[in-house]
Amino acid sequence: MKRSTIIAVAVAATVAVSAAGCSTASEAEGTADDPVTLTFWGAYGNGGNSTQAEVLNDTLIPSFEKANPEIKVEYVDIPYDDLLKKLTTSAAGDELPDLVRADLGWVPKFADLGVLVALSDEMDNFQELADATYPGVLSTNLYDGKYYGLPLDTNTRVLITSQEALDAQGLDAPPATFEEFAAGADALSDSGMQVFADGGLGAWNISPWIWSGGGAITDDEVTTSTGYLDSDESVAAVQMLVDLYANDQISNGIIGNAGATSTSEGLPGGNYANILDGPWMNGIWSEQFPEFTPIYAPMPAGDGGSVSVVGGEDIVLTSTSEHKDAAMKFIEFTQSEEFQMALVPTGQLTVISALGDQQVELLPYLELFTDQLATAKARVAIPQASEVDTILNEALVPAFEGTVTVRDALTSAAQKIDELLAEE
Amino acid sequence: MTVLRSGERVSAGVAEVLSATPAPPSRSRRMSRRRAATAATPYLFLAPGLVLFAVTVLYPTLQAFQMSFFDWKIVGSATSEFLGLDNYARAFTDDHFWLALSNSGIYMVLTVAPQIVIGLGLALLIQKKSPTQPLFRVLFYLPVVTSWVVVSFLFKFLFSDGGLINFALGDLLHVTNGDTAWLADRWTGLIAICALGVWKGIGWSMMIFLAALQGVPQALIEAANMDGANRWQRFKVVTVPAIWPAILFVTVMLVIGGFNVFISVYLMTGGGPAGRTDVLLTYMYEQAFNNLDFGYGSAIAVILTIMVFMLSVVQMKVFRDRNGGGAQ
Amino acid sequence: MRKRNAAAGNALRIVVLSILAIIMVIPFLYMLSTSFKEQTFVFTNPPQFIPDPATTANYEQAIESSDFVRYFLNSLVVAVIATGLSLLVSSMMAYAFARFQFRFKEILFRVLLLGLMIPAIMLIIPQFILAKNLNLLDSLLGLILFYVAGSLALNTFLLRGFFESIPAELDQAMQVDGANAWLRYWKLALPLAKPGLATATIFTFLACWDEFTIALTLTNSPENRTLPIAIQLFAGQGNNAVQWGLVFAASMIAVVPVIIVFLVFQRYFVQGLTSGAVKG
Repeated sequence: MKRSTIIAVAVAATVAVSAAGCSTASEAEGTADDPVTLTFWGAYGNGGNSTQAEVLNDTLIPSFEKANPEIKVEYVDIPYDDLLKKLTTSAAGDELPDLVRADLGWVPKFADLGVLVALSDEMDNFQELADATYPGVLSTNLYDGKYYGLPLDTNTRVLITSQEALDAQGLDAPPATFEEFAAGADALSDSGMQVFADGGLGAWNISPWIWSGGGAITDDEVTTSTGYLDSDESVAAVQMLVDLYANDQISNGIIGNAGATSTSEGLPGGNYANILDGPWMNGIWSEQFPEFTPIYAPMPAGDGGSVSVVGGEDIVLTSTSEHKDAAMKFIEFTQSEEFQMALVPTGQLTVISALGDQQVELLPYLELFTDQLATAKARVAIPQASEVDTILNEALVPAFEGTVTVRDALTSAAQKIDELLAEE
Repeated sequence: MTVLRSGERVSAGVAEVLSATPAPPSRSRRMSRRRAATAATPYLFLAPGLVLFAVTVLYPTLQAFQMSFFDWKIVGSATSEFLGLDNYARAFTDDHFWLALSNSGIYMVLTVAPQIVIGLGLALLIQKKSPTQPLFRVLFYLPVVTSWVVVSFLFKFLFSDGGLINFALGDLLHVTNGDTAWLADRWTGLIAICALGVWKGIGWSMMIFLAALQGVPQALIEAANMDGANRWQRFKVVTVPAIWPAILFVTVMLVIGGFNVFISVYLMTGGGPAGRTDVLLTYMYEQAFNNLDFGYGSAIAVILTIMVFMLSVVQMKVFRDRNGGGAQ
Repeated sequence: MRKRNAAAGNALRIVVLSILAIIMVIPFLYMLSTSFKEQTFVFTNPPQFIPDPATTANYEQAIESSDFVRYFLNSLVVAVIATGLSLLVSSMMAYAFARFQFRFKEILFRVLLLGLMIPAIMLIIPQFILAKNLNLLDSLLGLILFYVAGSLALNTFLLRGFFESIPAELDQAMQVDGANAWLRYWKLALPLAKPGLATATIFTFLACWDEFTIALTLTNSPENRTLPIAIQLFAGQGNNAVQWGLVFAASMIAVVPVIIVFLVFQRYFVQGLTSGAVKG
């Protein structure tokens, strides 16, 4: 399938539909006396992090309700690890809420089930809203030529290190290239500090290394993985990590040791020199390790430049919602400056490119994240994205352990991903 | 069942199931005439429970069974394709299914035996009435009453690289160098998961054995004493046969619980690294809820159920045979 | 000689039991201690057994950041009502199985047995759809119904054993006096099976108090949330460090009531096991 063509068609269709005016919804509209209630599910409060949910419940929703007295919004916080299960069950029972803050990897999955509304078909001003967002973030909402959501917040991973680590490696600045990164590892060899740690080998973890090394997971049209995931560039990038792992310079958290010191503790604790992580870490550290000052730097560059991975959440509207017009008003609200900027201090990067500068003024350390986002790429957006993670993880763990070669591991992973793509 | 069947907590009562024999016929015959007048009585007693059970447990069970024959789509509007036995055939050629099955088996073996041996040992040690007995009883039973979610988090914490287990084995006892990455490997990971199973379960088996030991006829022990039997002989000849039903009961319950292990694996290792500590139910869970492959997930669950049922029937048979020649 | 041997044996017994008891209890004590630690002091080498500095911040955060009192009351209401109903309904069934002969008795009994072996997680979706059709989504009543249903099989099995161990002669004597089946069940069987009922109470209460999956699936609004979900909300995800102190503080809040229930009932509990459950 040719994605680009489909996109073109979709865009044309969207314009046509918008022109015709699609808001012919028949559902009952609320009034100020008898407001409709929208239900909104998300995991803002995950891990005891109450600040995001508080901003939403105490500031943003009241503000929206004041401006739209005919609508009430009820936000329900659900543990992140269980949200997917709950969405699945609710989809089976036709009991989904009106709005969901969905992990961006879930949008194609639920669009594929047919439980989401294609916003590009239904919202009059979709194109206008979509154009305001970062393209890499927006693309996570695309499924089968239509957009099923709008970006809500975004993030990406950058290199985070500490002064202690730089001193130990004899560096003046964080490693900017693969070579400096590997050289730093050599300098640490007897120090008891490991050069890098990560929590797994899924696409979220390994993609930045492959992309920065000049490799790829699939072709741009997402039709095949063979020839990309097992290219020389991809192999070389992974090989560098595998060599470091073999020298005990990378924590075994990366192969899935659930008992390894976590990255967020190991960096301030002096166990690890570098980690890749997101903007939310600042808040976590200031609460849990107030003495610690993180140093942020771009993802080290290889032959492919410095390329990181896009993360974040999208807001989606369910097809069972009885108040689609009201829900779309709230979606529009989430794209506003007010909404976006209120969540910035809690570690949620804005998805509106025009607000990037304002966000950096508010919190200067975010500049680096904003810059990194400019080149960051999204993971493969297919309904079986979680299976891609499983494939990568199961292929790469033996490679890190040294029981298969990196090339063999990536070749077999590429074949399995091809099979998934063929199913589509 | 949903509620009460998390692992080994499954309780005492099922002994009754497995040893269930109809009430002695003599009594019922004597009372039969009166009963004829009120033939409806037993059904009136059964009705509320059976209706509830049929609607909320049995009916969903049949639906789950039905799913296993389909490429089941969770959303009602989509058509599910009938696959016949394909999902079952797929399981038998799926390496990961066999890995998960063998892990479930390993868990079962490594937790059942210690729970029986240590549980029985503890029961023998504290059976004598003494001022300290209630205290020990409570202490050993404490893990049984604590929620699986809480103790799974707790053991993940204890078995983490910088955790208490490594400190104890390395810095205190010097049996390891104290930096074992327990949860990074299939075998050490399973050991950690099994350790939790045993720790949480021995209080339960101890309690059952304690109760059973109180039913050992004192006269038999004294008779054995007079015959000059030593302690081991008395245990073998008198005690074991007397508590044989309890031993079998505990075994059957622990085997069922062992194969149904889920939450501890899910929370401690998540099946990792690379799915190597997956057990049947974590694999089923991943297929159903991560990959939305409910047909295949249901097939795995059905295989598990059939296996456990057959194992229980075999054990019941062994139990009856042995019991026939036993002391009671 | 013999006496001294016995005394030595007794001392040895106490020593062995104490060592084992310490091993059993250390994880709890360590959890308690961790719940009073700041995150920085959770992993130290050597580990801290007495928190220094000790802080109650975790408890404060756990209680403040969510409506713990409400969740606590919800859990309590659901667990108490479900336990009561389950005991009533299952003891009636158990009485029928223990005291009457009727058609399909063994088959019905075995169907109940099979119900114990099906992985609960597989039933989530069918049960969710059922709850929806019965209009029981997002209500404590729905939780109670499924909890009662889920505990029926086990309690029936357990109580059947107790009822069968009550001498049939007592039953017959009452029958001669003209008491009907309900009176015999209510006035004779139930009082005599008190230990069994206590055992079943503990198991059912514990199971309802801890239940997570059904509660998560069937309830949405925070007003209907129970404690296990609140605890799960505290546990982190993915790469982020779990805030162990916070999780364990929330856990302690949930565990302590259970331990109290157990301490209150444990005397009956042992009696229960002795007189009913395992009678060869």
